[in-house]
Amino acid sequence: MLPVATGDGGPPIIIPDQGAGDALLQPFDMEEHPQGGFHGLLEVIPTKADYVLDLIRANSLWPLLSGLSCCAIEMMSTATSVNDIDRFGMFPFRASPRQADVLIVAGTLTTKMAGPLVRLWEQMPEPKWVVAMGTCTTSGGRFKRSYSVVQGVDRVMPVDVYVPGCPPRPEGLIYGMMKLHELVKQRRGQWSTYVDRGPQRTRWEGDVR
Amino acid sequence: MEHVRRSRTAAHALGRRRALTTPVAAGALVRLLTEHLSADLRDLWTDADTVEFTIDGARALDVLTTLRDDDDFAFFMLADAAAVDYGPNEHFEVVYHLFSWKHPAWLRVRARVDRAEPRLPTITGLWEGAMFHEREMYDMMGIVFDGNRDLRRIYMSPDYRSFPHRKDFVLPDDAADSAAAGVNPLERPETWDLTRFRDAPGVTFAASELREDAPAEAVEDGETLADQSRPR
Amino acid sequence: MTTIDRDTRIPDPIELDRAEEERLRAAAGLGPVRTERGEYAGFDQVGIPDRPPQTEREREVYSLDEGEMLVNMGPQHPSTHGVMRLVVKVRGEIIVDIDPVLGYLHRGIEKLCENATYTTVLTYVDPMDYLSTMHNEHAPAIAFEKLYGIEPPRRAEYIRALVVELNRIFSHGLMMGFLALDMGGLTPILYAFINRDEIVDMLSAISGQRMLFNFFRVGGVNFDTNDEFLSRLGTWRSRVMKNIEMNEHMITDNEIFRARTIGMGTLTGQEAISLGVTGPNLRASGVPFDVRRAHPYSIYRELEFDVITQESGDSYARYLQRIAEIKQSIHLIDQIIDRMPHGPVQAQVPGIIRPKPGRAYAAVESPRGLYSVYSISDGGPNPYRFRMRDPSFISLQAVPKVMPGKLVADTMAVMASFDPVMGGVDK
Repeated sequence: MLPVATGDGGPPIIIPDQGAGDALLQPFDMEEHPQGGFHGLLEVIPTKADYVLDLIRANSLWPLLSGLSCCAIEMMSTATSVNDIDRFGMFPFRASPRQADVLIVAGTLTTKMAGPLVRLWEQMPEPKWVVAMGTCTTSGGRFKRSYSVVQGVDRVMPVDVYVPGCPPRPEGLIYGMMKLHELVKQRRGQWSTYVDRGPQRTRWEGDVR
Repeated sequence: MEHVRRSRTAAHALGRRRALTTPVAAGALVRLLTEHLSADLRDLWTDADTVEFTIDGARALDVLTTLRDDDDFAFFMLADAAAVDYGPNEHFEVVYHLFSWKHPAWLRVRARVDRAEPRLPTITGLWEGAMFHEREMYDMMGIVFDGNRDLRRIYMSPDYRSFPHRKDFVLPDDAADSAAAGVNPLERPETWDLTRFRDAPGVTFAASELREDAPAEAVEDGETLADQSRPR
Repeated sequence: MTTIDRDTRIPDPIELDRAEEERLRAAAGLGPVRTERGEYAGFDQVGIPDRPPQTEREREVYSLDEGEMLVNMGPQHPSTHGVMRLVVKVRGEIIVDIDPVLGYLHRGIEKLCENATYTTVLTYVDPMDYLSTMHNEHAPAIAFEKLYGIEPPRRAEYIRALVVELNRIFSHGLMMGFLALDMGGLTPILYAFINRDEIVDMLSAISGQRMLFNFFRVGGVNFDTNDEFLSRLGTWRSRVMKNIEMNEHMITDNEIFRARTIGMGTLTGQEAISLGVTGPNLRASGVPFDVRRAHPYSIYRELEFDVITQESGDSYARYLQRIAEIKQSIHLIDQIIDRMPHGPVQAQVPGIIRPKPGRAYAAVESPRGLYSVYSISDGGPNPYRFRMRDPSFISLQAVPKVMPGKLVADTMAVMASFDPVMGGVDK
């Protein structure tokens, strides 16, 4: 076993060799490891690798199949043959949030659905983006005074792109996705300000899951 | 398309009237109703294509059973069951719409329900499809149907406390001012934990660029509110 | 043939576990695990409310017997009907009971309509059953015209019938696509959306909107036909029969589709009437009830069309029924185009109408069934009570009735054959 650079008192960087023994089995924190995670200036200066990574992410955003109401039909219309977002890489509408990048909230969000939708969003791994499609998700839309509609999905989750319309034309949604591509490439999404501190959803009385 | 041509006069004659039946056919239904159900009818009224009468809530099940099972009536289909609130000091009404092959007019049965004790016998024994109608009437209006095996809320969450379609449940000009605002913590910003958005790893801009969230709307003396879109 | 005697057969894992547990509990001196069957399970399982059951039926559904399990087909699921939650009690793969939980899209439209003028109400009802918007507007328009005591001009009635039948065609086409999609067939939905896009571009030429058209007014329709609409209509009409037949042949004779829909979700006519199912679902069970024939409205008394029924009442029959209805609708559109009169398209009514106090009920045949509106007027500018009866809401009660005994994978297929749209279900 030959420890190479030890840095400033951190755990030894071990080149796996024959007979490394149980040095490899010692637990170490990925955050602390010099070879893991970004540190210092590396965070701030986007390198070529970051740029390529962002380009890859932008051109292969996988939406979550979560259409709530009428906008879902226009989202499906955007996804099918005439206005095709498969050409932008968004063909697979994933059923599971664990595999999705972008949550297109298409349709009216009601107070009963808000819980499941936030849970879906929390289950999505980072980086993730949210597109609020339609006026119902932007601001409550035509249901502004309703007793059971959440007045805009940004009341419950951070939103990156708002696409107005009732419902927005497929061309409008595609324009929104182009804006999202810009955000992705410039790393201006809201996800970067989010820290997962574990399950901390508000639970209220009679919360039915 | 020759076979679909009709004479112009017939088309004109048919098109202008909204009346469905000649008065004789509707009269047959009215006559049958007065014969069979005269004890229960409070108020009989006919329109061009509807015959309507009012009954007491307690008699609803018996009247509807007669209407469905009697051969003269044969109202086999329940088209609609609705609840109406006539005001904060008035009664409720449960309105059933029925259809029969023998009587081309719609039949409207209005069952009057007391507001203080809104109970009605269930008709799920006659039509299983009335289950969702009755659940909706309970959820939105608070009318209880005796004998219904599944009378729980259908649209709102089970812990919801109001009955939205009542006339004393008022939708305000601004949803934020309604009594229902803030029942759900998702609509109360003070319950949100925004600290989780403040620090994050992998952030590509300097921490000095992060701003505090805007403070709550407190108006200091001598200053005016920025948003004058509604009085606060 | 070798026989396997009882001692050497491979025991069921459940039995192994149970035997092991009994042995361990006996060794530890504890009693057996379950003394009572079907006791109400607590909160520690998915989908069960953490409060005592409120009703008998709830207790029935959420009490688990031996080997039963609750599976939550949650508000977000790959099937495309919208946000509906089904709590399914399964034993292995076989469904024992279903409890639909609705309300995830309840927007309070009826209450909002009580604070809106009659013309605004016609915009509020659009997003209810968002795949059949024209029908959603047709029923209130008729009801308000009854209250106000007017009749729309003849040309308006014909245009109404035309757009209503166009809406029916693309709605049924979408049902065919969704039915195949819920079974995993990804191609027919693309064809269904191509169909829809053609028709919807046509309707956007006449009403300005692709989806929530806002086309009907009290007293007529908003716009007259224009050149673009007629040109698109002609092009579409020349191609539609071939398109429908192509789409149909893709699925109808497909082995997998037939195996998964024939005999599934069978509903007899009597059951369907009792459950309140209407529309193509009812006609597929053999009952020839069509609102356009039973209680004619608009110009349907003058138009010639057949009320088609199927005998079997299963999913395949519901699918065939919709294909037949598409063809009937095309026939109706031909007649409408043939004899559309000239004239105004909107009666002269003021912007805010104040009908005399009264009550009106109007029912139309929507692609999902009997869609009706009951409206009470108190003489003011807003309706006093505006009630919509949505067909998908009531048809959904058929699902817990036909599904027990079938496999879990058939749930969405049978549900798709009933074609519910959650906007209408939840209002």
